[in-house]
Amino acid sequence: MPAAHFTAATAANRALGGGYFVLELEAAEDTPVGAAQPGHFVMLRGEWGRDLLNPRAFSVLAAPSARRFAILGKIHGRGTARLGALRVGERVAVTGPLGRPFLSPRPGTTQLLIAGGVGLPPLHMQARVAAAAGLHTAVELLYGGRSAQDLVLLDQARDFGVRLHLATEDGSVGHRGFITGPLLARLDRAREAAESVELLACGPTPMLAAVRRIALDRDIPAQLCLEENMACGFGVCLGCAVPVHGPRPYAYCCTDGPVFDAREVRWP
Amino acid sequence: MSAREPALSLAPDAVDLAVDFAGQPLKSPLLAASGCFAYGQQFAEFCDLGRLGGLVTKGISPLPRHGNPAPRICETAAGMLNSIGLENVGVDAFLADKLPFLRGLGVAVWVNFFGTDFETYVDCARRLSRGDGVDALEMNISCPNITKGGIEFGTVPEVAHRLTRACVEVSARPIVVKLSPNAGDVVAMAQAVAEAGAAGVSVINTITGMAIDVRSRRPRLATTYGGLSGPAIKPIALRMVHQIARALPHLPISGIGGVMSGEDALEFLMAGATTVQVGTALFAEPGAIHRITQELRDLLAELGIPSARAAIGVLQPLPAEAPIRPR
Ligand SMILES: Cc1cc2nc3c(=O)[nH]c(=O)nc-3n(C[C@H](O)[C@H](O)[C@H](O)COP(=O)(O)OP(=O)(O)OC[C@H]3O[C@@H](n4cnc5c(N)ncnc54)[C@H](O)[C@@H]3O)c2cc1C
Ligand SMILES: Cc1cc2nc3c(=O)[nH]c(=O)nc-3n(C[C@H](O)[C@H](O)[C@H](O)COP(=O)(O)O)c2cc1C
Ligand code: FES
Repeated sequence: MPAAHFTAATAANRALGGGYFVLELEAAEDTPVGAAQPGHFVMLRGEWGRDLLNPRAFSVLAAPSARRFAILGKIHGRGTARLGALRVGERVAVTGPLGRPFLSPRPGTTQLLIAGGVGLPPLHMQARVAAAAGLHTAVELLYGGRSAQDLVLLDQARDFGVRLHLATEDGSVGHRGFITGPLLARLDRAREAAESVELLACGPTPMLAAVRRIALDRDIPAQLCLEENMACGFGVCLGCAVPVHGPRPYAYCCTDGPVFDAREVRWP
Repeated sequence: MSAREPALSLAPDAVDLAVDFAGQPLKSPLLAASGCFAYGQQFAEFCDLGRLGGLVTKGISPLPRHGNPAPRICETAAGMLNSIGLENVGVDAFLADKLPFLRGLGVAVWVNFFGTDFETYVDCARRLSRGDGVDALEMNISCPNITKGGIEFGTVPEVAHRLTRACVEVSARPIVVKLSPNAGDVVAMAQAVAEAGAAGVSVINTITGMAIDVRSRRPRLATTYGGLSGPAIKPIALRMVHQIARALPHLPISGIGGVMSGEDALEFLMAGATTVQVGTALFAEPGAIHRITQELRDLLAELGIPSARAAIGVLQPLPAEAPIRPR
């Protein structure tokens, strides 16, 4: 998909608590980000002068029109803090949509969407897109976080009509513990029912590593959305190396990913 | 004209941006720097490549290289560190798959290259210089990211002299030597390569540095050390350009380091650079060179400087202080 570099204005910026925010950006004209698919990302940089030199990567959460899109951010360091504090009208430079998206759901296979914390946006979008295509029974969202305030945008997810499985480490909502608990239980049921499933996961690296192990042990196809430090996001700095199996030892997170086949990733 | 005399402003369109570098004409002094532009294709969707003064490719070695483990980059104050490990497709794939695209752009094509030892440098220079559409070679003698050998090429003038001479002898194109700021005496290095037949020098490559994550007690780069780029290095780059320009006024210099605006570019020209390369700025803004070119044109017009050529090396000394007198 062709990408563009453009300036957008902050149309809305809503704090959700726990450092999460939904930032909506609007360009003066149509942009290709309007056609983004789940897993595509954008590089964002405010008017930061010579400080915070490189843009920050964010998965697209939604693209309600050809001019407007939203991201779900979580305040981590200085860049995300500044983005979280943007006021309506303030400008942001955008490059996108970038990367390769998740594969779409197909009839006959259930996609288990496994989101950890701020890994939610591409899977939230996958659920939205599936629901809009009448495939809400073909996807289920498994969503884990530290506590109740780490589970955001649940009302929207419920509106999609997809089945939700929740987990929190402190037990304040859903299963107490990691999301891999409900995942294993769900996979056992799928095995008993001879149901065809595939896993789509995005979240902290330890969660992705656990999902990858499960997928490899049980021989289930899995797509993992990875994060690497990025300077450009479009394949020129070669900074975002991901260790992979195959003829080349490294792939690039921004152009070969961020979505990778779990079997391809060369992790311990 | 004294430095303080206000000059009459010009119309931006009247400003001539063309320059000559080592006898080769360029539409504008602004080039994309090596390693920040890959082999160009990715930029075609963001900007009109034909409006660049020129471009410098990612560094090419005789054989393909896979680069270093992750993490390879991290941001620092007004800059970033990288240890990509000089990953590249190698000479054969470059000539077959990458060069045809660049040749058609109508801008100066400089091919950055390096070897892992003396012989592979020379081999690379011989083969790349015969590529159709190559205007010049930029020889990277810094190689901060390869561990085997490399260091002396960029830091010992006699070694750099021998290497440059050998490459110039086999090259069908001019060779511009890209100097390392990590050398003890950058002027001695410039002199050594100029005497060996270099057509010019590119100044500077990244400066070796590091960053630490105190929470994990680990270096932020897999290789611990990496090359610092961005606005943080601009004052050092300017100083080195200026020192070389003063010592070797006839040696063309391509100034590099932290250029983000037309004013930054003009500083390099005034310090004595003939061309200016833009690197890290391209990551956040793929069309940065177009904006910088326009800013440079506007600024030259505002200052009444009729051409980029007329700005090269025009730095004036500050007026002397009045002597101290008893009251
Ligand atoms: C493909 C992709 C999609 C992402 N999607 C989202 C999203 O939808 N929502 C969200 O909140 N975050 C997302 N992230 C993570 C987000 O990019 C980082 O949280 C952000 O860059 C941190 O910047 P900072 O200045 O706040 O933190 P700092 O730690 O101060 O940043 C310092 C440097 O490290 C880099 N960095 C730090 N953490 C990360 C990280 N986890 N991944 C990549 N680079 C990092 C920064 O970009 C910056 O260059 C995504 C990352 C990638 C690679
Ligand atoms: C990610 C990255 C990769 C680079 N790769 C090369 C390279 O292959 N060869 C080279 O001579 N210089 C390389 N450089 C150095 C740049 O060409 C330039 O000299 C340096 O970054 C300073 O300019 P800047 O501050 O505008 O980025 C690289 C720089 C960066 C940031
Ligand atoms: S972020 Fe620059 S190549 Fe991937």
